[in-house]
Amino acid sequence: MRPCGVFDKSYALDIAIIRTWQHWVILISALILLYLFPLFGSYYLASFMNSLAITVIVVLGLQIVSGYCGQISFGQSAFMAVGAYTSSILTIKFGVSFWLALPLSGIVAGAIGIIGGAPSLRIKGMYLAMATIAIHFVLIWFILHLKITGSFKGIYPSPPSLWGFEFDTDERMYYIIMTVMIIMTYAARNLMRTKAGRAFVAIRDNDLAGEVMGVNIYYYKLLAFFISCFFAGIGGSLWAHLITVVNAEQFTLFHALEYIGMLIIGGMGSIPGVFFGVLFIRILNEIVMFTSPILARTFPWLGTSPAAALGLIAFGLAVAIFLIFEPRGLAHKWETFKASYRLYPFAY
Amino acid sequence: MIGFLQQAITGLMIGSLYALVAASIVLVYKSTHVVSLAHGQLVAFGALFFWLFLSGLGIPFWIGLLFSFVLIALVGLIIERLALRPLIGQPLFTAFLMTFAVFIILEGVFVLYLKGQTRTLPAFLPAGNLVIAGLSLPINQLISFCAAILLFAALSLLFKYTKLGLGMRATAENHRLAQSTGIAVKNIFSYIWILSAVVAGVAGIATANVMDIYYMLPYIGINGLIVAICGGLDSLLGALVVGLLLGVVENVGAAYLDPLVGGGVKNVVGYVVLLLVLLVRPYGLFGLSRIERI
Repeated sequence: MRPCGVFDKSYALDIAIIRTWQHWVILISALILLYLFPLFGSYYLASFMNSLAITVIVVLGLQIVSGYCGQISFGQSAFMAVGAYTSSILTIKFGVSFWLALPLSGIVAGAIGIIGGAPSLRIKGMYLAMATIAIHFVLIWFILHLKITGSFKGIYPSPPSLWGFEFDTDERMYYIIMTVMIIMTYAARNLMRTKAGRAFVAIRDNDLAGEVMGVNIYYYKLLAFFISCFFAGIGGSLWAHLITVVNAEQFTLFHALEYIGMLIIGGMGSIPGVFFGVLFIRILNEIVMFTSPILARTFPWLGTSPAAALGLIAFGLAVAIFLIFEPRGLAHKWETFKASYRLYPFAY
Repeated sequence: MIGFLQQAITGLMIGSLYALVAASIVLVYKSTHVVSLAHGQLVAFGALFFWLFLSGLGIPFWIGLLFSFVLIALVGLIIERLALRPLIGQPLFTAFLMTFAVFIILEGVFVLYLKGQTRTLPAFLPAGNLVIAGLSLPINQLISFCAAILLFAALSLLFKYTKLGLGMRATAENHRLAQSTGIAVKNIFSYIWILSAVVAGVAGIATANVMDIYYMLPYIGINGLIVAICGGLDSLLGALVVGLLLGVVENVGAAYLDPLVGGGVKNVVGYVVLLLVLLVRPYGLFGLSRIERI
């Protein structure tokens, strides 16, 4: 629902993302705060924000293919691995600069994503979910057994530099990662208002009906996989140059499951939902990290380091509770809150 | 040739475990159309309960077996009551995602209990090898193989000839229609989860017979899911045939391809088979294909 006094007098106003001057003020001040953050935040917070932003980029891609196009993919973490390895190999073995390797790794991951998405032409639902699990393991197997990826030892990319300025700390990488995240968010938000975005939603809601209406579902399914894996590749590339140690251990099936969990909690089919979901899970993880030593001291039968197991339990419980009580996720809660805030003091 | 046959027979024994795990997944699908990721955990917990009774408490074999079946059935019932019953009537995909959440919760409990250690079952079946025409068969694996085949026969008869089996098949077609013809859909959900949890428990005990109980054990559920999907999710026969085949292919492939590509074939061959089968026959080798209407 629109804020009071917004009348959509022209088409441009009707499709605008940001409608009022208050929105602009909030947006611009939020962006300024975001960029000033490393100046007053601690090192720990900066690295937390970095991993948060990379996860947001990857989950945005998953939102496009799973949330909007309805093709559940458990392969996102393997495609992130493809991006990370592509970027590392390009910069180390071929001497390509990071600024070119970043988009290239997205494109390579996207191209492999098209191959990975090919089963979606024949199968859907949880059959496709299983096929993407299979693709995850096949990709990781290739990474472990090809010469160029350094097999089990992994690969060591160097941090990016620009005109002699090295982005070698978390605070410095923060600016690159945040900029990329903002661009990707803007792109994803706009993509959903184009012809392709509408086609994705049509395929999700009813693929047969969509085909009858003239949507080329094969083309758009593959396009959705390409875009989603492009996002994963970009995220992987940033991750590689942030951590500077890449090996296949970092891209497990559990990460892919976690991304799906973030989508469920944030809300399928909503760009703000990605942010809600990622924040929710990451903050939940931090809470578990901080409380588990206390719990371990209070209840000795939990063992000495129950953090990993308790994290799993908390994550699973959160997903289960959201599936039962709020299947549309936090994004829906946020919408209802906005509506009630705008209507206050009236009930509807 | 004898080497090949030996590999194939070892694979057959492993394959019977996959077939059992797949059978428990097929049971749930056949009667409720829910695809379950959670069964890997039921397998692991079945093994763990049995270990607890046999090694931890020192209870005799048969009583321990009975107790662990009761406990694992209880776990299945709890999963059904707390997680899946609220989702009856929701889209089936939600139930699939719910079983994924259940998998993660139980994984946490499992890891919390094991604390990074491994548990090994004491040998509870007669040891030794049966040698036929130069091929050696471990007797304990042979016993669990025969138990698996018998269980399959019993389950097929249940679905085909009893009233309960008919009700389960009807529920799978459509929850609401089944309810309106007088089938208690809620009870069917409970029964089938108890039954499939017990089957998964049998699979777990048979698995722990040849493997240690450690934190990766639940992931045998993914192999079971591969088998169930390749064989067709609504076909017990498919689960049996493909399960045995997958065991053979894994073992033979690992023996002959590992030197060529440098190891790790065993972990990936199942997924390659799954992708090929899905591309050629999306509903599995023995599954019914469904016709969709708008």
